[in-house]
Amino acid sequence: MNKYVKEFIHRGLIFSGFGPIILGIIYFVLSKTVDGFTLSGVEVMTGIVSTYLLAFVHAGASVFNQIEHWSIMKSLLCHLSTLYIAYSLCYVANTWIPFEPKVLLIFTIIFMVVYFVVWGIVYFTIKATSKNFNAKLK
Amino acid sequence: MKLQIVIEKNRDEEILIYAHEKTPLICEIEELVNNNFIDLKGYTENETVKLNLNDVYCFVTEDNKVYALTEKGKYRLKLRLYQLEENLNNNFVKINQSCIANIKKIDRFKATVGGSLTVIFKNGYVDFVSRRNLKKVKERLGL
Repeated sequence: MNKYVKEFIHRGLIFSGFGPIILGIIYFVLSKTVDGFTLSGVEVMTGIVSTYLLAFVHAGASVFNQIEHWSIMKSLLCHLSTLYIAYSLCYVANTWIPFEPKVLLIFTIIFMVVYFVVWGIVYFTIKATSKNFNAKLK
Repeated sequence: MKLQIVIEKNRDEEILIYAHEKTPLICEIEELVNNNFIDLKGYTENETVKLNLNDVYCFVTEDNKVYALTEKGKYRLKLRLYQLEENLNNNFVKINQSCIANIKKIDRFKATVGGSLTVIFKNGYVDFVSRRNLKKVKERLGL
């Protein structure tokens, strides 16, 4: 098996359990704060399975940035698209967002904005690091 | 500091320094000794040459083979990258899974849009610092 596939699975399995734990905490908070908050057995099961898979993919996808023979753009696009698909499917499966074009468009815009804000933070951090490194080279 | 040289053909060669602290002079001696004691041979199709570490830009792995990129060209080595890493002096640092860089031969670092850190060597060769090795590079640069 390809070492990156192995690494994807390895990372995914380490962190996948955190998905349902976070979901459980959110459900607990909602049950304490929202009057009449109830869930059916199917909703709970869908939530557990989908967030488990979401956490698995989210953790595993970090391996894309470490595939050294891939171009940077390819890593970035694969990471972005994998996360986008995983989050979209999870949100739709749990009916946290309705499957409507308008809503999906808003979801996509928010997702992209958040992703690129995070990307910007990483980029400017690396830029500052390179500046520090260059100062030490002189 | 006193200097004593003993010519003794029946003993292993060694250099031993007694000092109160590690001074720049000791660092220089250390570097000089390290550069001269590693027996590094580079191979091309036609020749075998003894490599001077000061001339090496970096060591890279390509198709499971290790090469030294030097001022005089590219030489294949018969060592693995991890073996080199264990024996090189402090001027060298592993920047990613397949490259050990000579800090003295780095021209500059550059951030890329993909969020990685590129290394541009003085001979124009470009490689990158992986996140896993970023801490090591920082330490080696004294940050």
